[in-house]
Amino acid sequence: MTLTGRFVALLALGVVPIVLFGRASETAATVLGLWVVAVLALGILDLILAGSPRRVALARSLPSRVRLGETVTSDLYLTNTGTRRLNMVVRDAWQPSAGAGNNRTKLALPPGERRVVSLRLTPHRRGERRVDRVTVRSFGPLGLWARQATLQAPGQIRVLPPFNARKHLPSRITRLKELDGRTSLMVRGQGTEFDSLREYVRGDDVRSIDWRATARHNDVMVRTWRPERDRRVVVLIDSGRTSAARVDDEPRLDTAFEASLLLAALASTAGDHVDFIAYDRRVRGRVKGAQGAELLSRMVDTMALIEPELIETDWSAVPGQVRAVTSRQALVVLITSIDAAGASSALLSVLPQLTRRHTVIVASVTDPTTLAATHERGNREEVYRAAAAERALLDVARVSAAIRRQGAEVVTGSPADLPPALADRYIALKAAGRL
Amino acid sequence: MSLPTHAPSKPPAEDAVSTTPTLRSAGRRARFWVLAGAGAVLVAVISTVLTVGAADGGPLAADSATPIGARALVEVLHQQGVSVTAAASLDEAGTLASAAGDPTVFFFDPDGLLSAEQLTSMAQLAPRTIVASPDFLTLQTLAPAVGFGGVSQAKVTSARCTLPAAVNAETLSPGGPTLSIPAAADGLTGCFPSGGDAYALIQTVAFDRSLTLLADGTLLNNERIIEAGNAALALNLLGAGDELIWYLPTIADVPGTGSASLGELTPGWVTPTLVLLVLVTVAAAVWRGRRFGPLVAENLPVTVRASETMEGRARLYARSNARLRALDALRVGAVQRLAGHVGLSRLAALDEVIVMVATMTDRPSADVRSVLVDAIPASDAALVALSDRLLELERATARATTPLPPGRMDS
Repeated sequence: MTLTGRFVALLALGVVPIVLFGRASETAATVLGLWVVAVLALGILDLILAGSPRRVALARSLPSRVRLGETVTSDLYLTNTGTRRLNMVVRDAWQPSAGAGNNRTKLALPPGERRVVSLRLTPHRRGERRVDRVTVRSFGPLGLWARQATLQAPGQIRVLPPFNARKHLPSRITRLKELDGRTSLMVRGQGTEFDSLREYVRGDDVRSIDWRATARHNDVMVRTWRPERDRRVVVLIDSGRTSAARVDDEPRLDTAFEASLLLAALASTAGDHVDFIAYDRRVRGRVKGAQGAELLSRMVDTMALIEPELIETDWSAVPGQVRAVTSRQALVVLITSIDAAGASSALLSVLPQLTRRHTVIVASVTDPTTLAATHERGNREEVYRAAAAERALLDVARVSAAIRRQGAEVVTGSPADLPPALADRYIALKAAGRL
Repeated sequence: MSLPTHAPSKPPAEDAVSTTPTLRSAGRRARFWVLAGAGAVLVAVISTVLTVGAADGGPLAADSATPIGARALVEVLHQQGVSVTAAASLDEAGTLASAAGDPTVFFFDPDGLLSAEQLTSMAQLAPRTIVASPDFLTLQTLAPAVGFGGVSQAKVTSARCTLPAAVNAETLSPGGPTLSIPAAADGLTGCFPSGGDAYALIQTVAFDRSLTLLADGTLLNNERIIEAGNAALALNLLGAGDELIWYLPTIADVPGTGSASLGELTPGWVTPTLVLLVLVTVAAAVWRGRRFGPLVAENLPVTVRASETMEGRARLYARSNARLRALDALRVGAVQRLAGHVGLSRLAALDEVIVMVATMTDRPSADVRSVLVDAIPASDAALVALSDRLLELERATARATTPLPPGRMDS
């Protein structure tokens, strides 16, 4: 139960008769009493005449998924099962991150009829966004008092990672295709496979000429090569403590998702098998054995629910996790953060186990503000800040060098640069036949 | 946004489950507290009603059972057939006196509320007037010959007069104030002397009516009435007639003076309007304060900026004035960048870098060495200056190693 501004105004209007008729104190008190009683009586009458907010049947129509940053429409169907007309305001109580904006809707609902309340949802956070309840406030015919009830109407929508890095995908696929059918590779390693023979055209590397085939044909034939296919790529994301830190107002984990999505899309186009693991002390999400479009959709679906855990990552179990995915040689991409030497010692201690068998890339998000801070040295505080930033960069450089010494590759970049940088490194490794 | 839709193919006939309790269930749940509250109010009311009987009045109030009240005396007088009526103002006492056949007036005015005129008319109300603890104005008006006698020092006071009431009482409680009779005065009977011309009780005639002055009114209160002959004296004095008017002046006897008060000047509608304003405020509070359903809970992630550790380290440097340590960090970074500029490995020896940079920028190598290694900042200003020189050296090296764009050779 509640009252409206109209009731308050009506009550306040009582000052007019009190001043007009209340020359004497007693008459004024009487007028006041009469006015209050009359207004209260009107209010109670209004309350009695208001339709019951409990006699409402609810149904929802919702898309199950939405990509972060996109807008969907949430429809709530209300049916008046009572006998009175409902003049109501409906509040569809979505979680704030669902981005429903103003979720209060005015509605007139005659008995037995159905109306839809549509809300435009623009979620601004990844994950599962829920709505549990709908609150209905039903006003009386005079609009003085209202009845209110909160009804259960659960619904949920899964907000997927935005995959903004997909804008880099076409250019990378083009470069991948350029690898295909190249006559000569700078390094012809074990990973390149013989593709076909074709006629020599001007510009081909003469070293690619297949003399035996040329002898059989009338033309000069060259061998073509294509990059190896059906390799395995294991993307392991560190969802531990350090992944919660925000760089450029984006958690490291989200950047890691962007990078791994771009890499997965690229590798899957190139014909490689991609497996995805999010791990800190236990597996938070895993995608295994999916290909093509299904791979990406399963990855975003899994990622949507992963949040940074505020615990230290157990690196000693990581080789076991990789072994559980594949026993063959694979490209293992560890997306984590490279910090001070102390914090990265656990990672460094297990790297040899991985590099012995696999090609390993350690990818890390760097903070562009650190780099910028080294150049701002206007006053005392800024100089100390620049020194601290320089020290942080030196730490990262030292750890990166240590990782390289263990035989792994290092890719670092700001949140915007890391996904394409990782994709480029993948293409470079593929071209070099090191997968 | 609301749109009428077509009749649903399969209407949801079930009402949605409500989580708001109905008025009835809310009432059932709150029953204990409602009952407890009502019980507490009831207990408060009952105890108030019970204690109101023993309500304190002023000194010698006829219905007060406190030690300073006079209910004991009044009750005994009642039992003796004397009707005692309390009067709160002179008008009321006058009405009672004119209605009675043979009234006695008991007068006690500890606050001195009555004026001389009022005292005069009070003394003429009844054939017998007993004044307890008379003050200066009372004595001046009614018995100008009588003065104050100081506090009695006598251990025992006996009647020593012919007044029947005093003779019957024989003794009074010792101590207390007294009244004095000058030697030359006549028509004054003093009883219970306590040395000199001090008496505890004086009887005289004023306006042709008997006037008895009792110096110490506390002799009549509930606490002391049982001492010595106090009770006998009081009963004999006050029970002389059938009707006793127990007159204790109140504020009603004071004539109002001055201009009209603020309250009288205020129009009648002001107070009700203020009350209405309070009601409107309460209603507005309910209107604005009533929540539109419960709050929605959501777990939000912690926000940790990645640069937090860097900022923290910078503050530590600043607080401990770690100038050399800070400068070393800057120098190591600068040396590595310089090595890159001049085409050496990042791990090149420092001396090589210094020599290369000095050559490239055409500076004495001692200068470069001082900037990169030797100089020790003695103050924060020196630290800032050294850091600026480092930056300047880096820029100069970068300029020297970057080939000028074609066509700008002359500049």
